[in-house]
Amino acid sequence: MPDWKELVRERLGARGLLGSAEEEVVAELAAHLEEAYGDARLRGMSEPLAVQLALQEVEDWRVLAADICRAKTEEDFMNHRTKSLWLPALTTLLAASVSLMVTQNLGTQPRVVWVGKMGMTFYWAWLATLPLFGAFGANLSRRAQGPTRVRLAAGLSPALVMLIVMCLILPWGLAIDGCDFLRLVGFGLGLVNWVVIPGIALLAGALPFLRGAQAREGISAD
Amino acid sequence: MTKRIRSKIARGSGELAILALLAEQPLYGFEIAKQIGERTGGTLQFTLASLYPLLYGMEKRGWVEGHWQANRAGRDRRYYRLTAGGRRRLAPLRQEWRAFFQALDSLAGVSHA
Repeated sequence: MPDWKELVRERLGARGLLGSAEEEVVAELAAHLEEAYGDARLRGMSEPLAVQLALQEVEDWRVLAADICRAKTEEDFMNHRTKSLWLPALTTLLAASVSLMVTQNLGTQPRVVWVGKMGMTFYWAWLATLPLFGAFGANLSRRAQGPTRVRLAAGLSPALVMLIVMCLILPWGLAIDGCDFLRLVGFGLGLVNWVVIPGIALLAGALPFLRGAQAREGISAD
Repeated sequence: MTKRIRSKIARGSGELAILALLAEQPLYGFEIAKQIGERTGGTLQFTLASLYPLLYGMEKRGWVEGHWQANRAGRDRRYYRLTAGGRRRLAPLRQEWRAFFQALDSLAGVSHA
């Protein structure tokens, strides 16, 4: 009869992934295989056949290791999402909003750029601070081992929130005031003013933090 | 049927089977798999690979609780018992599956097939 614990430890190949629970998992799976083997022997099977039958309980040990990891860290995954996305995104959004408020309260004059009869208001002082916040959000997400797309979303969160708000306001505005060409152009300029340009500034800061420090193993496997 | 839906059905039915079984008495993994196989005439079958990820997930959610106990032969086994949370989960799960089979029956006449 094989050393079931050693066999499970070797085939599971999950050293470190399960942390403190690893020995317990190995012991439990080994006990299960030993029961399956014993049961087969009781039914009159030869030893090699009983071993073979027990081993048929697992088709792919790597899949089993990943499934167990996922099951054991299911709750952590929720915490991980909060730590790597929601917290950095909300912090970045808050910081960018406070910065805009402070810029306005300090009396910094915005620069108005006219496009035909429409003006675009640029708070240059505020825009200049955005790369810092983009870097802050992406870095916070990276430290929580967020994957690249999550870091990007965290860094760009102020621009993404503005995009969502504008997309919600547009149909409402069109329904109330009617749809005309000038209104649509105004919406487009608003998009450039509050989403595209701040987005570029945030992206400039976030870029250096989009690479390196891979996401947690076993979490992003699905 | 997509793989995701199939997997959700398999997982849901597995959870119900395990919770219902553990509501009767605490059992260890091999015995859970054996009893489910025997009592469903082999229709539901658990292998080590399908059973333990499910059990660990249920344990993580607080539905079942495992503890080591040696049997008369001195062999250590990890027994699972239903927690209060698992008991609370079992009733709505039974309800969901009853509604699911009734819906399937009204659509496809499953119970008369």
